[in-house]
Amino acid sequence: MNNDSIDHDNRRIADALGSPRAPSLKKTDKPDPDFKPPTGAVLVVGGGIAGMQSSLDLANAGFKVYLIEALTAIGGRMAQIDKTFPTNDCSMCIMSPKLVDVGRHKNIEILTSTEVEALDGAVGHFTAKLRTAPRFVKIDACTGCGECAAVCPVSLSDAHNLDMTDRRAIFRKYAQAIPGAFAVDKQGESPCRFGCPANVNCHAYVRLIAAGRFAEALAVERRENPFPAICGRICPHPCETECTRGGLDAPVAIGALKRFLADWERQNPDQAPPLPEIKNRPEKVAIVGGGPAGLTAARELRLQGFGVTVFEALPHLGGMLRYGIPDYRLPPEELDHEIKTAVLDLGVELRTSTRVGTDVTVAELRDQGFGAFLLCLGAHVGLKLNIPGEAETTSGIVDAAAFLRDVNAGVETHPGKRVFVVGGGNVAMDAARTSLRLGAKEVTVLYRRAREQMPANPWEIEEAEEEEINFRLLCNPVRILHKDGKLTAIECIKMELGEPDASGRRRPVPVEGSEFRLEADTLIPAISQKPELDPLTSDVDQMINKWGTLEVDQVTLQTATPDIFAAGDAVSGPATAVEAIQAGKRAAESISRYLKKQDLRADRTPRRGQRAERSVQGVTVSDRLKMRRLSAAERRDNFTEFELGYTEAEAVAEATRCLDCATCCECLACETACQAGAVFHADATGTRDIEVGSVVLAPGFEPFPAGLRPELGYGHYANVVTSLEFERLLSASGPTEGHVRRPSDGTTPVRVAWIQCVGSRDHSCHRDYCSSVCCMYASKEALIAKEHDVNIEPTIFYIDMRAFGKGFDDYVARAENDYGVRYIRSMVSRVIEDPVTDNLEIRYTTPHGERTSEEFDLVVLSVGVQISEQVKQMAQRLDVDLDDFGFAQTDTFTPLATNRQGVFVCGAFGGPKDIPETVSEASGAAGAAACHLASARSTLTTAEVFPEPRAMAEDEDLNIGVFVCHCGINIAAVVDVEGVAAYAKELPGVSYANNVLYACSQDNQEKMREIIAEKGLNRVVVASCSPRTHEPLFQQTLQQAGLNKYLFDMANIRDQCSWVHRTDNQRATGKAKRLLRMAVAKVSRAEPLEEREFPVDSGLLVIGGGLAGLTAALQAAEQGFAVYLVERETQLGGNLRHLRRTTDGEDVTAFLRSLIEAVNADPRIRVYTGSEVVAQTGYVGNFETEIMTPAGDSRRIHHGAVLLATGGHEARPALHGLDTDDRVCTQLDFEQRLADEPDLGQQAPHVVMLQCAGSRDEHQPYCSRVCCNQAIKNALALVERFPDAQVDILYRDIRSYGLGELQYQKARRAGIHFTRYDPETNAPVIDRAGKRLKITLTDPSLRWPVELEPDLLVLSTGMAPHENEELGTLLRVPRAENGFFIEAHAKLRPVDFASDGQYLAGIVHGPKSIPETISQASAAVARAATILSSPKLCLTGVVSTVDPEHCAVCLTCVRACPYNVPRINEEHTAEINPALCQGCGICAAECPANTITLGHFTDQQLTAKLDAMEDKP
Amino acid sequence: MTLSYYPGCSLKGTAREYDWSILWVAHKLGLELCELPDWNCCGASSAHMTNHDLSGQLSARNLHLAQQSGRDVVVPCPACFSRLRAADQNPAAQAGERLAPVQILSLTTLLNRAEVLDGIRAAVVTPLTGLRVACYYGCLSMRPPLLTGAINHEHPQGLDTLVKAVGGSPMRWSHKTECCSGSLGMTRPDIARSLIGDILGAVRRGGATAVVTDCPMCQANLEARQLDPKSAVPKSERLPVFYMTELIALALGRPQKRKYWRKHLVDPRAVLSALGQVPETGAEP
Repeated sequence: MNNDSIDHDNRRIADALGSPRAPSLKKTDKPDPDFKPPTGAVLVVGGGIAGMQSSLDLANAGFKVYLIEALTAIGGRMAQIDKTFPTNDCSMCIMSPKLVDVGRHKNIEILTSTEVEALDGAVGHFTAKLRTAPRFVKIDACTGCGECAAVCPVSLSDAHNLDMTDRRAIFRKYAQAIPGAFAVDKQGESPCRFGCPANVNCHAYVRLIAAGRFAEALAVERRENPFPAICGRICPHPCETECTRGGLDAPVAIGALKRFLADWERQNPDQAPPLPEIKNRPEKVAIVGGGPAGLTAARELRLQGFGVTVFEALPHLGGMLRYGIPDYRLPPEELDHEIKTAVLDLGVELRTSTRVGTDVTVAELRDQGFGAFLLCLGAHVGLKLNIPGEAETTSGIVDAAAFLRDVNAGVETHPGKRVFVVGGGNVAMDAARTSLRLGAKEVTVLYRRAREQMPANPWEIEEAEEEEINFRLLCNPVRILHKDGKLTAIECIKMELGEPDASGRRRPVPVEGSEFRLEADTLIPAISQKPELDPLTSDVDQMINKWGTLEVDQVTLQTATPDIFAAGDAVSGPATAVEAIQAGKRAAESISRYLKKQDLRADRTPRRGQRAERSVQGVTVSDRLKMRRLSAAERRDNFTEFELGYTEAEAVAEATRCLDCATCCECLACETACQAGAVFHADATGTRDIEVGSVVLAPGFEPFPAGLRPELGYGHYANVVTSLEFERLLSASGPTEGHVRRPSDGTTPVRVAWIQCVGSRDHSCHRDYCSSVCCMYASKEALIAKEHDVNIEPTIFYIDMRAFGKGFDDYVARAENDYGVRYIRSMVSRVIEDPVTDNLEIRYTTPHGERTSEEFDLVVLSVGVQISEQVKQMAQRLDVDLDDFGFAQTDTFTPLATNRQGVFVCGAFGGPKDIPETVSEASGAAGAAACHLASARSTLTTAEVFPEPRAMAEDEDLNIGVFVCHCGINIAAVVDVEGVAAYAKELPGVSYANNVLYACSQDNQEKMREIIAEKGLNRVVVASCSPRTHEPLFQQTLQQAGLNKYLFDMANIRDQCSWVHRTDNQRATGKAKRLLRMAVAKVSRAEPLEEREFPVDSGLLVIGGGLAGLTAALQAAEQGFAVYLVERETQLGGNLRHLRRTTDGEDVTAFLRSLIEAVNADPRIRVYTGSEVVAQTGYVGNFETEIMTPAGDSRRIHHGAVLLATGGHEARPALHGLDTDDRVCTQLDFEQRLADEPDLGQQAPHVVMLQCAGSRDEHQPYCSRVCCNQAIKNALALVERFPDAQVDILYRDIRSYGLGELQYQKARRAGIHFTRYDPETNAPVIDRAGKRLKITLTDPSLRWPVELEPDLLVLSTGMAPHENEELGTLLRVPRAENGFFIEAHAKLRPVDFASDGQYLAGIVHGPKSIPETISQASAAVARAATILSSPKLCLTGVVSTVDPEHCAVCLTCVRACPYNVPRINEEHTAEINPALCQGCGICAAECPANTITLGHFTDQQLTAKLDAMEDKP
Repeated sequence: MTLSYYPGCSLKGTAREYDWSILWVAHKLGLELCELPDWNCCGASSAHMTNHDLSGQLSARNLHLAQQSGRDVVVPCPACFSRLRAADQNPAAQAGERLAPVQILSLTTLLNRAEVLDGIRAAVVTPLTGLRVACYYGCLSMRPPLLTGAINHEHPQGLDTLVKAVGGSPMRWSHKTECCSGSLGMTRPDIARSLIGDILGAVRRGGATAVVTDCPMCQANLEARQLDPKSAVPKSERLPVFYMTELIALALGRPQKRKYWRKHLVDPRAVLSALGQVPETGAEP
């Protein structure tokens, strides 16, 4: 090996270890003069189980952690899963304590709704740019009470429950979510709001109407628009034009709904809001003109306390609303009522029939003390046609404005028989329809363009048509004919449409010579209007612009005279009422600022969210509910209002059509409901830069979208669900509360099928990889379903059963044998639905090759995992390389390192994997991330400090607090928790008792702390789940409340009560009370116990010098700990010495050599080869181990933690002539021969590989996990070397899990034969008698016997642990029957032993590959670092103590203790070292003299508990 | 809208009623269909089986004609459609000068264009209310999706949308794209009987009284098989198979003539009279 490749491998090791520079491994380097200490903080991306574990390990090892999560709460996918395999633990239950640990950790800062935008800098000194989406709820202020969600009118499908249930727009992701604060789901602003000139929140009032909350809807409306009765009738509702539904069927009838609200209030006067309180101010404002603009401004200014006087030239208020709009559209009594309630009742003064300019001048008013003027003069002057004859005609021509004004003012008007209206706008329609009602026989609208160009609202035109108004289109009057000044006829000309003009409409062009005459009695020009400004001339002369309107500042509406403002039609020209309202509001704001002497221009642009775009995909078409109205015949001769409004039911039904485009409608009901003031709708996106030393990426996976396999019917067939949906169906917190039901009809399914490999091992949809977890989770789901309902008959259709993990084969066997789960090895290509029953037919081929068909009630698709687009984009932003499928690119020897130094990966982002591997990798990534930050440890952290426990008085009375947990419905569905809580109050010593939804949630923990302090409690009992998972959490709360943590007890009313007595609520409640009574009795006798602190030795003892041991040693040293590496053999390397190449072609020998060199070169590592551990004493933080060196010397080593990594070896069973027949060898033998022998004796060898040789049978009853991949690797190596070689691999299941599947695929493409055998029905017969080996078996895919005559038979014999029984006893750690060691928890503590300070890694835990071993070693070091990095630790108070007075020195305790702790001391009595005592209590139970007491479990406590067991009346 | 029209052999022979109904509906909707001048066999059946190159070149010539016309070409027969698409995607099959590409549209795709669909909805005079029908797509207009460009090849909706547009109710079923055994109809009647039996069984199970398709082979096969002596269906239980355009034409008020329905092997008049659509006399289109 040359130096380059050594350097290369050093670099690789450095990467693996996470150290910044390879040379740091060479201790000869001089210190770098530019060295800048790294930042002692780590960024962890992703708040799933991986991110949480990494964060906890890093924070506990002295680093500041920023944990960012894209969603609103951490917890990840585990929060959605019901149970976990193979232990069947409740996923939420085992994760919940971790959630809370993360949530309350002082040195973990959780940033939700946050993503990394960019990562600058380099290892040790990164700057991460973070972007946080607004949550709209202040996390610190929110108490999680849920009052906000209770009032939220918007219902959305709940993504946490995979859209199978609904949630509100303000929501908490799930009950135990961390942070527990709610969040608002807001997608910008709804399009309808963009349409409204007055910025009325239409979405909110429509949604509130749908919820039947009419008063609130009105209040929302009135925030921006004081005139719902008016606008509900006459507004052309531009909001509806924007409505998303318009693109599907018809817009929601927003206008009609507004009208409904006004009607509703009129009918329910008691519901009208009380008059607002107004604080009067001294300033006075004069408003000139009582139209909509003036009235709006009057109201707004009055509400602010100004004195307001409205001057109106006409006798009544309303302006155009009264004098321009006919009564049949807007009845005057409605107008009057609204003006009165909205404006006049506020104390606005009124001077009608007063024309400012003539009756009183502005100057006079100024003198009277008016500080500001608002001119809202309207545009009441109709324009003339300006055609010949018009001026001379003195009667018979009246402009529409004047005509309507007269009619509305009650002036008797007779337009005659034949009436012509000129114009195509709404005013023309009003004039025409009014004429009709005044008795005209024939009313005709003349319009110069085509109908499509008419500016009137389409419904107005339709209504006119219904009333039989005639339309003469493309026609224009050119001359008026009159006799004696009286109109006789109109001369018109036909028009045609030419080129488009500036307005985009096609310009009407006269057709020459097409003139014609129309006999007429009345002609009403309705072409446009302008303001009447003359009377004001002296005041406003200079303000009139060339359009004849008032010139104002466009923002402030201020005229050139500072105290005069103007708004409405006189400024804008004729416009709609809602535009006038908007202008009135704007003017009022300016005047208010003017009078308050504030800046008129600052912050005038209203805050607008992004326009929400909602797809109408999948929305059911529903017709818009037409408002009832009078028929044309009923209405055409009178002025009665013709639209009749909605009934309540109609309004609700119509409002329900709203699609909630922006999700949150911003009705602000939540803001009002929130007592804590936490809701904060003005929240905005935030950015932040943080400094970190390294980065851990754990963004997790998303389920494969099952719709990409359409032949299976997902999304089309109601009863085809994904496996994650099925998890939710199983979950107690899911949509069916744990009862498995069919989505189509809610019935309980009996025949349930699982289809495996949906989106896995599938080249057709570019998911070639195996998703690793589906075989097991399907088995688990089948088994749990069966537990939920014994009638369920589960069937699993699969290709290979990939139960490759520890204990997985046993689990599958249990599912099959004990639960009757049927496994059918067949790939299902199609699902057919019965249209009558909604049952599903699956056609498949049996193992015997017969085609058959079977019907199922429910089909579950076992969907694979994939990396989301969002994560891929993040990787791109961070310059992290991904593979073809989006998984982070890593190497065999650096499984946790990305291409970017200092950026590590763990969990499914690196490839599909299950929870234990994810957790192990998470710890591993934490270890790697910590390596190069060791010098910055504890520089950015703060310590957890509990208040000094409160001293208890000698004779302090019992003051017990009881908290009874619902555990959602886990307990409450069976046990009457309120009843139990009420019962608790009656128990002696109990002063407080209450029931809580989830006792373990962070907000309830906070409340518990407050209650303990507030009520001065001195004992606490929680009746909930298991102390195994939750006791430490509750005890910590006691400590935070200043109470000794041993004054606590738990009653397990879930696992031991509600879960096991589902069917008998009454007796379960009785039992819960009894359990609680017992806990109260026990806690009554509880005494505070002392926890002693002791110093920690920072050394790590690593037992075993193979890959795991070497990796761990280097990493621990890199982290700054002293390492003692003990290896039984004379040289380091273990199994790695026998391997040659990795799957990706890397040179194992070279890697091992550089690894050993690095270990030997590191002064912090002491290597003891040829040595064995012979004795160990001590306890976490203070171990003493004796080792025997080759020379026979004994050495004593002091250290703080132990890592067991003694590995295992390839099994070598005496099978098929192994070691006797040289035509037979193992995979390792073969690998070595392949590497070491230039030719294997010939150019075209035929090799047969026999998988599971002596594995997965009664002798070695587990799967060795690596053999399939190893066989594939060696087979590929062979055919690469000898293209003519033939390889047959005889297998039971090919377990090339995860990305290993790609190699399997490659092998099949390379022509390697895979033939399945079954040890029971189709075991290969191996005949070694002849000159050639002869192997016969039936090929199940051909269903034909095959005969093979290989040159070589390679046995995949699997892996076995080394002889380690003695070592296990010596270290007092548990071993399974098969010789592998047992971790503390199969799921969440995969590298810990149950006893503190002891860890395991590598094959000693179970068979595993090189990358898995490296990550596990790294994980074990990270776990150990949480101990080794602390200068001191606390001892538990739950230890046995001997009262020497009564000790008979009988040695019973010495013999009974499984941990060899008790000893006989110099005083000749038994003594138990509290630091060693594990608190099991066996000695206390065994002691004949009754002189050993176990803290927290004293005789008094237990006797009291037992005494309380009996039911007493 | 003006398009080129490639009828193919079926529409000039066994499926003439398909051709008629298409042209009538197109006319009614203001779609101008110009039959490709001098079109030839698409190469789907015999040529495809005997000479692959020839079959490709036959379609390439048709494609070339369509490109010369410069208009998108609508191809009602899925077999022709498939061949034309294949030629389009195989530049090797196309000889001579390269012309600007045109779109090759299946009839159902064309009728599902928003403006055409709106036109159909607006023109309905006798909605087919109460007609419960199974929309059957067969294989070639959907598969392979890369060739056909079908969006939802396993659960297509094109015909369902059209049935709804004319007031009928399409039934929900799983056999929309099952094989009708068209290519085995002559050679392996045993297989054909079993496959057709499955499909028609599913139609009856779903409660439909008729099938609608856009494929002339499927139509012929599904109807003919019901008369097969070995699997004969009693007359009263036979399910007529309509072309989609026939149903549209009915809803759009096409005058009906007794003679017309004789083109169908399964007499649909019972189904139609149940709808109130009594065949009347009138002019053939």
